[in-house]
Amino acid sequence: MDALVSVRNLKAYYKTPDNQDVRAVDGVSLDILPGEALGIAGESGCGKSTLSYVLSLFVQKPLYIKEGEVFVEGRDMASFDEKTLQREVRGKVISVVPQGAMNSLNPTRKIRHMVIDVLREHYPEMSPREAVERGRERLEFLGLPPRVLDVYPHQLSGGMKQRVVTVISTLLNPKVLIVDEPTSALDVTSQKIVIKLLLDLLRKKIIQSIVFITHELPLLRHVADRIAIMYAGKIVELGTMQEIIFDPKHPYTQALIGSVLTPEPGMKDRKVTGIPGRPPDMKMPPAGCRFQERCPQRFGRCGEEPPRVNVGGREVLCWLLQNEPASELADASAR
Amino acid sequence: MRDILRILSGSRRFLVGFFMFGAVVLFAWIGPYLIDTDPFTRVGGLYSPPSKEAWLGTDNFGRDVLAQLMYGTRTSLWIGLVGGVVATLIGVTVGTVAGYRGGWIEEALMGLTNVLITIPSIVVLILLSIAVDSRSATVMGVIIGITAWPWTARAVRAQTSSLKTREHIDIARISGVGTLEIMLVEVLPYMLSYIGMAFVLQFSEGILSEATLSMLGLGPFQTVSLGVMLNWALLWEAVRVGAWWAFIPPTIFLAITSFSLMLMNAGMDEVFNPRLRQHQ
Amino acid sequence: MPKLIDSAFARYLLQKILWYVLAFFVAVALNFFLPRLIPGNPVAVIVSQMAQQGVQSAALERLYATYMAEFGLDQPVHVQFIRYLSGVFRGDLGTSFMLYPSKVSDVIRSALPWTLALQIPAILVGWTLGNVLGAVAAYKRGVFDRTVFISALALSRVPYYCLAIILVYLLAVTWPVFPVAGGYSFGFYPEWSLEFILDALYHYTLPFLSLVMVAIGGAAVGMREMSIYELGTDYVNYAKRLGISDAKVVRYVFRNAMLPQVTGLALAFGTMVGGALVTENVFSYPGLGTLLFSAIRQNDYPMIQGITLMITVTVLIANFLVEIAYGFIDPRIRAAQVGEK
Repeated sequence: MDALVSVRNLKAYYKTPDNQDVRAVDGVSLDILPGEALGIAGESGCGKSTLSYVLSLFVQKPLYIKEGEVFVEGRDMASFDEKTLQREVRGKVISVVPQGAMNSLNPTRKIRHMVIDVLREHYPEMSPREAVERGRERLEFLGLPPRVLDVYPHQLSGGMKQRVVTVISTLLNPKVLIVDEPTSALDVTSQKIVIKLLLDLLRKKIIQSIVFITHELPLLRHVADRIAIMYAGKIVELGTMQEIIFDPKHPYTQALIGSVLTPEPGMKDRKVTGIPGRPPDMKMPPAGCRFQERCPQRFGRCGEEPPRVNVGGREVLCWLLQNEPASELADASAR
Repeated sequence: MRDILRILSGSRRFLVGFFMFGAVVLFAWIGPYLIDTDPFTRVGGLYSPPSKEAWLGTDNFGRDVLAQLMYGTRTSLWIGLVGGVVATLIGVTVGTVAGYRGGWIEEALMGLTNVLITIPSIVVLILLSIAVDSRSATVMGVIIGITAWPWTARAVRAQTSSLKTREHIDIARISGVGTLEIMLVEVLPYMLSYIGMAFVLQFSEGILSEATLSMLGLGPFQTVSLGVMLNWALLWEAVRVGAWWAFIPPTIFLAITSFSLMLMNAGMDEVFNPRLRQHQ
Repeated sequence: MPKLIDSAFARYLLQKILWYVLAFFVAVALNFFLPRLIPGNPVAVIVSQMAQQGVQSAALERLYATYMAEFGLDQPVHVQFIRYLSGVFRGDLGTSFMLYPSKVSDVIRSALPWTLALQIPAILVGWTLGNVLGAVAAYKRGVFDRTVFISALALSRVPYYCLAIILVYLLAVTWPVFPVAGGYSFGFYPEWSLEFILDALYHYTLPFLSLVMVAIGGAAVGMREMSIYELGTDYVNYAKRLGISDAKVVRYVFRNAMLPQVTGLALAFGTMVGGALVTENVFSYPGLGTLLFSAIRQNDYPMIQGITLMITVTVLIANFLVEIAYGFIDPRIRAAQVGEK
């Protein structure tokens, strides 16, 4: 198995105060392969951020793993204790640029202190001076001004903050970097700069793989090798960028593409939510296909659990594709 | 409205506070009809301890403490209510106008608000109280209200400013809806839970302010309140002669009343502020 | 090492000074105008009250003349105000009615140290203990948190004087461990002797405790809430996701949660002073509160006005000092809004 991170039949739920389960991620199997840029797209609330928490091995109450396995370089995550996860995995093997990177830096400490804390947490023998030096070199290597080390977060612009967070997240040369909505809240110019930095990290081999999590499909067109489309806790379609963007098979993917075909800046958000209807209540998802209530091509079988169909190498979770000449993947992925 | 009550009933803190407060209100409201004793009539000896005739004993003039407690709680609640209503009305008006209009109006109103917050309110309360020559319970409530509003104004302004950028308000503005109507229809309803919390807090503060003023000798004329009872106890040395029944009951009632309102506030906060709830 | 005082901080300082000067003038104006709303000629009212108490008519005329001159009631209001202002700046707050012919400023000067010595340490100690308690409760959660939260809420809602009354009753009347009243024992005279100081401390204990307990409650409730808020912020989450240990994250959180608490301390001086004055009164402590109580009972307007002004000035100074301290603690104030864009 050469996947850096892989999850099998993962169910990650939130426990509500009244002891109900919110099934944020409900049966996902996914591999993050070395050298790839993987995109995960879907409307807000589809479970993609929750998936990022699990992928980065940061599962905290009220989130818990109901079922399934997570492997990191072939090793089962369940065999790691919390201390090992904290010291040896987080930030070091798998790192994140979280959603809301704007507020991800401690407002009352200079950037250099965050650099020192991150490095020394994982390399206790390193002196603060060395740590700052490492940070300075890395900033220069990626074309950022090292002056940012000596300022407070509020003195940085939004785009610069996002870039600084990205650099801090990759200080330890993690194998996988998970970026959650890296461009929301940024203007178009800053978006481009941030994307360029992320791809630079991959190109300069600081990281091996990158996972983009976003609700803006067009963004993935220029950066992702493969794309997974998530809906209501499940991956409904998974294929190459070409397949997903230019030849979507799942009705939801089609709706998502259709809603963003005009790449007009500022209009993207509104159009995604422009798919009629709302995602189902994840406390009690409907039986069968979860998209059925909003699906324009709904038919009789949608009330049954849809099969995972392999269409020329891509996976689609839909009854419509059942008749196409393809082998069924459903049994294989369940095992 | 029913929804709000249903949601609130999910908070144990709110429920406990609500029932404690309800018990106090019932005591003050129904109590006087049950016992037929005037709080100003002499019924027994000076500081006689609790007995069958006077369940909570008598005060320095032989007057019934239980009757005083009932009427006193009623007065205190009334003053707190008037103070809370006045403070909330002024505070919400100033806060929404400042937050919604912005510009120099906002700067002027908030400047005033902040100056009044900086000056200790007890000072203004004392000065206003000595300046008013007929201090009825209602007048006292009004005085308390007009010194207490700046906190509400500040909080409401912050809420309004953040609401102002919402889409539905933009739409209303573009559709040519008048400013006053927007404030009443599009802004205020979204802050009801918030205003409710501020009111409960002001109510509780009002009751405490009454007690403080009364204990300084600036209480309402010709009536008894919890603060007035404590003032008497202090003036006539009830503590030193060990007449606990003259000061422990009003103390406990003050504490219970303001604590129950505070619990309701905390419960509302828990319900309306999901971040805190998530950690419960 | 950055300069401790740079231009951003100087701007903050200047802004605060202007602000407090403005607040001071508003306070002085309120202090001047509000009592003047009393209907009729206050001097006549007072003098007639004194006449009922059997003061000789010759003395009354002299009194009347003194106060008419002092208030300048025969002059237009703005002249009166200017006269009042200049008096305030010279430290002349008029002549007391009840302690005639003592000057208000002299009487206040002898009472003020008692009030300051009681209230400032009590507020500081209560605030510090409350913050520690609130932070620990927020971090531990569970039963400890619930206990701390409910008792702190209850404590912060009990008016100071209620607690004071109960403490006096229990620890001075029922079990006479501490004295019932006063700042020092009868027969002593304030002086710097060990004997006197011990006696004063003995009298100090109960009023101090009753103030501290309520102050703990208020600070604990605030700190707990701020800490819970900070524990849920994005930066805490991010630090944890990069593998930074809980112990370190908690240190970030408490430092940041403390900042609003410092502002809270400034406000505490203003909001707590009323209750604290009544507490003095419960103990007949020889400070401003007890003095205010007598002044109100005897309609000694110059004394009341003098005391309210003194309270305002003290609170404003305390607020100002705290805000300056805040400027030093919060780096966001010292660091200018320029930098890497």
